[in-house]
Amino acid sequence: MKPARAGALLVLPALLLLCALTLYPVGYGIWISFFNKHSFFPEQNFVGLANYVAVFGDEEFWRSLKLGLIYSLTTIALQLVLGVAAALLLNEAFAGRALVRAVAIFPYVIPTVVAVIVWKWLLNSQFGLVNHLLGAPVSWMGRDWIMVSLIIVSVWQFFPFVLLAVLARLQTIPPELYEAAKVDGAGAFYRFIHITLPQLASVLFVVVLLRSIWMFTKFDTPWLMIQGGGAETYIRTLPIYTYLRTFGYYEAGRGSAMAVLMFLMLVTAAALYFHFWRREEQL
Amino acid sequence: MNPTALIPALAVAIAATLAAPAATAQKVIRVWHTETQPNSQQAMKNIAARFEAKNPGVKVELEALAWTDLEGKIMASLAAGTPPELSHGQPITCTALQSKGLLLPLDDVVTALGEDNIFDQIKRVCRVGGKQYGLVHAAGTSLLIYRRDLVQKLGLKAPKTWADLIANAKALTQPGMYGITLPGDNLFINILLGELIASNGGTLFDKSNRPQVASKQMVETLEFLKQLTRYAPPGWEGHGYRETFTNLYGQKAAMMFQGYGRGASLIESNAPKDMANAEHFDVWVKPHGPSGRAPVAQVDEEPWMLFKGAKNTREAVEFLKFFYQKANYLEYIQTVPIHFFPITKSMRTDRDYQATPMIQRWKGWLDAQEYYLARDLGRPTLVIDWADMNTKPYLMEVLGSGILRDMVMDVLLENKSSKDATGRAQKRLEELLKSKGYLK
Repeated sequence: MKPARAGALLVLPALLLLCALTLYPVGYGIWISFFNKHSFFPEQNFVGLANYVAVFGDEEFWRSLKLGLIYSLTTIALQLVLGVAAALLLNEAFAGRALVRAVAIFPYVIPTVVAVIVWKWLLNSQFGLVNHLLGAPVSWMGRDWIMVSLIIVSVWQFFPFVLLAVLARLQTIPPELYEAAKVDGAGAFYRFIHITLPQLASVLFVVVLLRSIWMFTKFDTPWLMIQGGGAETYIRTLPIYTYLRTFGYYEAGRGSAMAVLMFLMLVTAAALYFHFWRREEQL
Repeated sequence: MNPTALIPALAVAIAATLAAPAATAQKVIRVWHTETQPNSQQAMKNIAARFEAKNPGVKVELEALAWTDLEGKIMASLAAGTPPELSHGQPITCTALQSKGLLLPLDDVVTALGEDNIFDQIKRVCRVGGKQYGLVHAAGTSLLIYRRDLVQKLGLKAPKTWADLIANAKALTQPGMYGITLPGDNLFINILLGELIASNGGTLFDKSNRPQVASKQMVETLEFLKQLTRYAPPGWEGHGYRETFTNLYGQKAAMMFQGYGRGASLIESNAPKDMANAEHFDVWVKPHGPSGRAPVAQVDEEPWMLFKGAKNTREAVEFLKFFYQKANYLEYIQTVPIHFFPITKSMRTDRDYQATPMIQRWKGWLDAQEYYLARDLGRPTLVIDWADMNTKPYLMEVLGSGILRDMVMDVLLENKSSKDATGRAQKRLEELLKSKGYLK
């Protein structure tokens, strides 16, 4: 057997696996979005675009989209601010820096389920530590505060990703740039604006892109927040509502249509993001 | 190394892996149950071990699943064509699965137990065409639990009507103490709404499957909840079931509307020692609404289901017969004695059962449950009339959709009028049932 053919044969299982595990489910998901299909029983009938029409006419869909955007945009902005600030701090030399760096990534490495359970204990309205410290009976899992609680937990959990990416880039910025700026009389703020930020731009571009995708499709954290209590209605983001449609209403077709729409929204947003980024770079 | 030399080795490895299971062939009964409490799990393990010892060549594989995981897992296994032999499930799930022809009858087990020996209420669960497709493992009704010491101090009486209950909740609300606690998650709001509408003489769906959520009885029910939750802790809508028990034994609430017998163990382990008894935490029969005549309580009574398409159904039937034998069943229900109300009359009057120390300590709690069961005032979740069990296989979807919970929250938290909230829910329910083909 020729080495090229043998090589192709050895690659074949991986290729088949990729098709079976990625392309087939995606294709099947798109396919069943054109059917009125029960999620588990073998019942389905072709309905064309009816699922999509129904989704657009569903006020809950628009409400969950709005909640999803509030959640993802707020958490991304806060993760960026906190992540960049923490990275700048941890880029400075001080005693115990290595330990602080290790501790700082702790929220990102613990399992989501553990993080959420711990936070739910802390935020318990009757017996939680946070209310004890505040001295006020805030209903963190109730109607008015559950979105804030979810945002706090999510930002705490995911800002270390931004920190890591930004810190890595900060360490590669040539110190000569800062020295030259200092000679020219630039203060800390101007050095940050005119040197640090431009140097971080490419990293932040990727970080914002990835975090946008991950936060917009985030399922586990909000889902765990409403297990065993938690005002679900008020954090019913698009992924949660899609799950509810599929495994609560048992409407696999409608759920798939929502998942496809979610995918299209992300692709469109990513394309626009790339487009404006490229135009910015050309300017 | 020449890569072509790897191909035969890979083929041998794959063949060996595929051939391996043949060597361990054995009749396996897969059993999924919802009793995740360690002592209940241990009792199930003991029963399975004794069954295996009596039946060489048969293995019982037990899996304890959280409530929230069970339905999805059953459905996924059915979709994959690999259902377990036996599983617990909600009564309305049992009905839904039976309507699709996915279950086998358990009449042999009923015969072995003695048909007359089983409480009538139990036999009504998932019984279709005279065949028993679901057999309840144990029944426990929801309970209105109250702080007896506080009630006596204030001279309050057992509430007969919803107005009485609201008055009691108001009287019991003191600085640092709320009158009532109740959970706000979807399952419990559905349970609550089902029993309240039944206690108020209403229904959820008529005979032609048309939703009835805009009825006078429903408006009264929503109004009652609005009044009652004034005396609940702020943010009650975010409280889960366990949290409401914490509120009760943690002395933050004086009454709990959706309690269960299982809570007696929680009280014994968590309440202050001098209070961890039925002298401080007693139960009342629930009150009825202005348009109703008798209270109705939800019964937590998951039936065992035997799945068509499973490999070893005959052995599974034998296992169930073994499970209900006195020594085994007694061991099982004694793990949560105040919640596992036995399904047989013989066990209920059995001396060994009656001698269970916890049953003696919390007798009133069991008597209250017997009150509902003996008078046919207990219903599974969302079942108003027993005929619903067989004529409304969509209740599972209604529960899962959260539409009823949204309706309750619209009125209680969003200050929408009952008319607007019920109108919205009516529309959503109609859309759901139309998409499933149950409503034209």
